[in-house]
Amino acid sequence: MNENLILSVENLDITFKTNAGNIHAIRGVDITLPKGKTVAIVGESGSGKSVTMKAVTGLLDSNAVINGGKIFYHYDEKTVDLLTLTKKELRRTINGQHIAMVFQDPMTSLNPTMTIGAQIMEGMLLHQNISESDARDKALELLNLVGIVDDEKRFKNYPHQLSGGMRQRVVIAVALANTPKILICDEPTTALDVTIQAGILSLISDLQARLGISVIYITHDLGVVAKVADFVNVMYAGKIIERGTVDEIFFDPRHPYTWGLLSAMPDLETDDDRLYSIPGSPPNLLHEPIGDAFAARNKFAMKIDEKAAPPMFKISETHFAATWLLHPDAPKVEMPEELRKRIERAKLGSRE
Amino acid sequence: MTPLLKVENLHQHFKISRNFTVKAVNGVSFEIYPGETYGLVGESGSGKTTIGRSIIRLYNPTDGKITFDGKTISGKLDDDTNKFLRKNMQMIFQDPMSSLNPRKKVGEIIGEGLDIHKLYTTAQEKNKIISEILKKVGLSPAHAERYPNQFSGGQRQRVGIARALVMQPKLIIADECISALDVSIQAQVVNLMKDIQDATNCAYLFIAHDLSMVKYISDKIGVLHLGYLVETGTTHEIFNNPIHPYTKSLLSAVPIPNPILEKKRKSLTYDVKNFNYAAGTMHHVGGSHFVLATDEDFKIWN
Ligand SMILES: Nc1ncnc2c1ncn2[C@@H]1O[C@H](COP(=O)(O)OP(=O)(O)OP(=O)(O)O)[C@@H](O)[C@H]1O
Ligand SMILES: Nc1ncnc2c1ncn2[C@@H]1O[C@H](COP(=O)(O)OP(=O)(O)OP(=O)(O)O)[C@@H](O)[C@H]1O
Ligand SMILES: [Mg+2]
Ligand SMILES: [Mg+2]
Repeated sequence: MNENLILSVENLDITFKTNAGNIHAIRGVDITLPKGKTVAIVGESGSGKSVTMKAVTGLLDSNAVINGGKIFYHYDEKTVDLLTLTKKELRRTINGQHIAMVFQDPMTSLNPTMTIGAQIMEGMLLHQNISESDARDKALELLNLVGIVDDEKRFKNYPHQLSGGMRQRVVIAVALANTPKILICDEPTTALDVTIQAGILSLISDLQARLGISVIYITHDLGVVAKVADFVNVMYAGKIIERGTVDEIFFDPRHPYTWGLLSAMPDLETDDDRLYSIPGSPPNLLHEPIGDAFAARNKFAMKIDEKAAPPMFKISETHFAATWLLHPDAPKVEMPEELRKRIERAKLGSRE
Repeated sequence: MTPLLKVENLHQHFKISRNFTVKAVNGVSFEIYPGETYGLVGESGSGKTTIGRSIIRLYNPTDGKITFDGKTISGKLDDDTNKFLRKNMQMIFQDPMSSLNPRKKVGEIIGEGLDIHKLYTTAQEKNKIISEILKKVGLSPAHAERYPNQFSGGQRQRVGIARALVMQPKLIIADECISALDVSIQAQVVNLMKDIQDATNCAYLFIAHDLSMVKYISDKIGVLHLGYLVETGTTHEIFNNPIHPYTKSLLSAVPIPNPILEKKRKSLTYDVKNFNYAAGTMHHVGGSHFVLATDEDFKIWN
């Protein structure tokens, strides 16, 4: 096992039981987080990004069944498989102090009947040996750091009295309160305007530089990914279908889904009046696809795509993609011309 | 042509305690014409959601006048006006989880408005309408049987979008309605919104922080800061000739999906302490382009 890793998810497999049947939402996911680094997870809405991270923090919905897999957390020369811990053990020993998560929907993680100040202090008082007044000072400082001015007055606000983006920042403050070793952010800046987003991202990278925190970002904002990520995982229908360094994914993408995703970004430089979206819809995981889950939407799909799911093909030491197009016997297929031009433009633009 | 929505001098204040009143919206005016998309942008806490909620009357405006399709809707609403408003104006909420009833199936949630305003004749027709709209937002008809908590964040957001679109209103207030979607589905939803607009001539108040998407979808843009509308104009005017320093700083901070550029870039900084918005008035730049400024500032910036 690589000693530089702080977290490794291995072959995770999760099903949800519903009235309509079983939904095979996570179908063998591997994700590694090197210590002190930032790993992004991007991908189709509903592909399983949040569920994977909820599994790490032991906060899966009650209708979830973990069919298999391991989630190793390496710290202080020790390694634990988080899946072997009970919810209670996780809450007492890991969550908050070691691993903190910022959830996608801020209202679901805030208590509507408690002031935001009390909510930020709560975790500190629970996990740190700290006086009430020190906790209060630290909470005020955190509010300030996440860009909530008037912090003294805001301290006594209830969540509904804040704007959407302020709530999101309160959740970030709660997560940072115990300076965790791993910070998992699920769409942490979706409701934030670009200036405040920039502030939050630099706050997190400062903490990273100062304290060596390792970060996982789930985001669909590829601009954010470009800014913060060292490595990128692209997810589709419950699987990681491409992973690589941020440069490999943006400048040398190999999976047709990644091509589609990059092509769909609106480009401030152009004035097209229609945005590209990947045709078709994702597979219904009530009825699991037999071959490649992306085949139906992939204009380069081959016979084999209908019969077998592709393995991860290696492109470099850090770059892998699961598409049969990378098989040595496959016909040579280039990425769409539009995207190739766009990447060329981007590379040129970056070299001034 | 007369505007579909006219907001004049809107103020919305919240009294939190004896010595703390949040002045969320301060004298905001703008108009939206039928078939038009007005993009409202501005930093977190600047009052965007509040403006939306005041217009659709989830709040009672502290001051100002709102006219919708010729009717005044800012004062006390009589039953007819209220009913008219509920049918013809819909809001897609920023926080999908708290706006969807967790005990109702998604099919029931989307069907609710159809029931109240009797927008179908048979149960079969109703189911068909619901299936169609689910497909259009990239979900599947089978999703109608699930509860809100059984969805991913982006799927839930699309339930909110479907619920609003299915009513075929004249005005949709879309509050950060695509922020939780991946770019491909964002494109699908935005293209869908444009198609519906072409077909029904409805108008959108499109609240968002993603300027590249706002640029793409909006005909006009309003830039909001601390509850003041600091600049408004056509999308072209705002992007090609931003006047207000706040607008300029906002435009300079848009993340670029390019890892090399992004890691060495600096955005413009903006210090609000140098400005007194309350002392400013709207100055005409040209066309439909206006900026909030004092006379001196306006001279310097122009
Ligand atoms: N409690 C649940 N019961 C049934 N299905 C669920 C449940 N929670 C999630 N799912 C399903 O699991 C899949 C993965 O969901 P997840 O929330 O991980 O998606 P995501 O990648 O985070 O998407 P988004 O970008 O929209 O947030 C989705 O198809 C979703 O509908
Ligand atoms: N119900 C309320 N009670 C008290 N204050 C409120 C209420 N709703 C909003 N506010 C305050 O009004 C201001 C504007 O909030 P609003 O939600 O309109 O911002 P926003 O521009 O939508 O921000 P975001 O981009 O973060 O969603 C904030 O200071 C907020 O705290
Ligand atoms: Mg999610
Ligand atoms: Mg808002």
